[in-house]
Amino acid sequence: MSEEELTFWEKLARIDRRVFYWILFIGLMIPFIRPIMFPISISPSTRDLYEGIKEMVEPGDVVVMNIAFGVSAWPECMPAFVSCAKLFIREGAKIIIWGSYYDVDLTYEELLRRAKEDFAKLKYGEDYVYLGYYPNMEASVAQLGSSIRSIFSTDKYGTPLDELPMMKNVDKATDIKLVVSGDTGDCCDYYIRQWRIPYGVPVAEIGIAMLGSSYMPFYKSGVLFGMSVGVRGGAELEKLIGEPGEATIRMGAINISHILVIIAVVLANIGYFASRGKRR
Amino acid sequence: MAEVLRREVVYLITAIITILMFIEFFFIGTWNVAEELRTWATIIANISIALGAVRLLSEHAKNIQRRRAGVWPFSIWLWIIFLVTLLSGLAGYVIKQDAMTNPLYNWLFTWPYTSLGQTLYAITGFYIFSAAYRAFRARNIDAALLLIAGCFVILTNAPIGGVIWSGIPVIGRWFLDYGQVPGMRCFLIVAAFGMLAYGFRALLGRERGFYGEVAGE
Amino acid sequence: MPYPTDPAGIAGLWISWLLMLMIYSYPLYKENPVYRFAEHTYIGLMLAIMLITTTITTTIRMVGPPLMQGKVWYVIPVILGFMMFFLLTPRYRWLSRYPIAILVGAGFGLGMRGVLIPNITKQVISTITPPAVGAGAVDWWNYIYIAIGTICAVMYFVLTWEHRGAMGYATRLGRWIIMIGLGAYFGNTVLFRMAMLSGRAQFFLQVLRIAPM
Repeated sequence: MSEEELTFWEKLARIDRRVFYWILFIGLMIPFIRPIMFPISISPSTRDLYEGIKEMVEPGDVVVMNIAFGVSAWPECMPAFVSCAKLFIREGAKIIIWGSYYDVDLTYEELLRRAKEDFAKLKYGEDYVYLGYYPNMEASVAQLGSSIRSIFSTDKYGTPLDELPMMKNVDKATDIKLVVSGDTGDCCDYYIRQWRIPYGVPVAEIGIAMLGSSYMPFYKSGVLFGMSVGVRGGAELEKLIGEPGEATIRMGAINISHILVIIAVVLANIGYFASRGKRR
Repeated sequence: MAEVLRREVVYLITAIITILMFIEFFFIGTWNVAEELRTWATIIANISIALGAVRLLSEHAKNIQRRRAGVWPFSIWLWIIFLVTLLSGLAGYVIKQDAMTNPLYNWLFTWPYTSLGQTLYAITGFYIFSAAYRAFRARNIDAALLLIAGCFVILTNAPIGGVIWSGIPVIGRWFLDYGQVPGMRCFLIVAAFGMLAYGFRALLGRERGFYGEVAGE
Repeated sequence: MPYPTDPAGIAGLWISWLLMLMIYSYPLYKENPVYRFAEHTYIGLMLAIMLITTTITTTIRMVGPPLMQGKVWYVIPVILGFMMFFLLTPRYRWLSRYPIAILVGAGFGLGMRGVLIPNITKQVISTITPPAVGAGAVDWWNYIYIAIGTICAVMYFVLTWEHRGAMGYATRLGRWIIMIGLGAYFGNTVLFRMAMLSGRAQFFLQVLRIAPM
């Protein structure tokens, strides 16, 4: 079929994919130059995460923040993770930070940088500790529940755990008030199976958006007490703690990109039905 | 005897450890053997992560050795950047017990690595956009249902959806909070039964693919 | 991250920016040597960082203190760990089965005991538990949808009987329910991918000082 015989829709379907890529990339930049902000509603899972932490955590309680996402997922997971850390600090919790992603050191440093003012009020070793990396496997998470010292005998900087004041009486899952796991993969599954079920430790998820679908049945059945879904969850948490930040700004780009995707889907389907009608 | 060591003893070890871990659930905190084995497994897993790196690096060494056209200069570069990063990190670890204290390692980690990681991970954003245009079509009822649920969720996740029509977030929220639950719950249940069946087959020595067994070996 | 002021930071920022453009030259233009260069840079960096964090430093941190305390048997998992490398030699490959046996045994044992309650029992209970007294029509509709939907969707994976007759209707409904689930999953996937890409678009502007850092 020559180029002239093609209908408008068929020509549209043959447009080089790179045209779409350029439109998308340029489109994503617009909100960072001219912000496009609309009100953000709070989803029930994010509200439960926020209220769950506020209700359960008493000053002095020890909580775990598990970093199971790499630097590559910062735009998606980091805003909610930072908001959660701020919330823990406000509630007076003592925070253990560890992670199962090999670049966890950088994520930890970024967390401290983004919540700089909040962490400045705390003292390392007394209010928070960083234990470093452990392999992302079920056996490691199960063993952390049995004895933290069998996996981490020292903190990341080589200080024995017994010399860190907040770790003196902490060694088992039963010593931990709750766990918040930031994930790109299935690490939260391990905490559900090896901490939530045997020890009854409440677990919440801060994950990439797809995990919002995967973990929804766990949230609906009460296995997870709350869940933040992707950057949208991050924006919701920022709203709840009253500190709009990176995720809130990014929602402008989400608006543009999602509208572009919808336009692409609508055009594709109109073209599909138009060309199908023509063939008949 | 050698054959027994290669197969039956291995299956037996797997079966014993599987049973031990399973039964320990009912005696949590009292079985030191199970706890010790989990620590061992963690150490083994930690070391074996290097296996993938060794395998990949040896492939690139072969590329260099064979002067594979269009590839070997990049393989040399990969080896150089690998060695520079490794040695600088090791220097930091040996001197101050923390690899991040080495300025070069810290710089490589903070800047090029972070940027490349985020960039490569984000590249699929382009592909999902073109996939939405080229493949996301209501060809039949199944595809139409997928498309309707997908579009409502897309517009609900973006705050602009509610500005276009206030009903969008209401319907989209239903898809997220209820609509997707039976499908996702079905996956959880089916996967759990699959894992149980697979585990029992491994326990009985009938599932052996993960041992890397090769026919005739 | 604030805009760096030191030379190393400024160099890092601009090199990161260039590397990003090198990678995006592939989707936005075509496959080219510049893209390959950046890709190989990432692999080299990743392998080194991974080795340092996992195999080297974490193993020393995990095994060193127990060995110092006289727990000499901690040498065994280290030896077993290195036995994994026999996977690379066809003649002695069978030796790698011993560490694999420990990993697989621990994985299956913990996984099997772990999935029973959260993945099966809790899901079944949640599916069949009716709404509380005084619940409205919407709650009852959601309850019936989830209950029937879950049963039909699970039936779709039952392959013992042919999907015909009553079973055929149920599995067809199950397939539709799964499609709705996958549609929502796709919607969330779009959010994830676009959030990642928007991060890069933001970085592109931040380096040029068009957007605040």
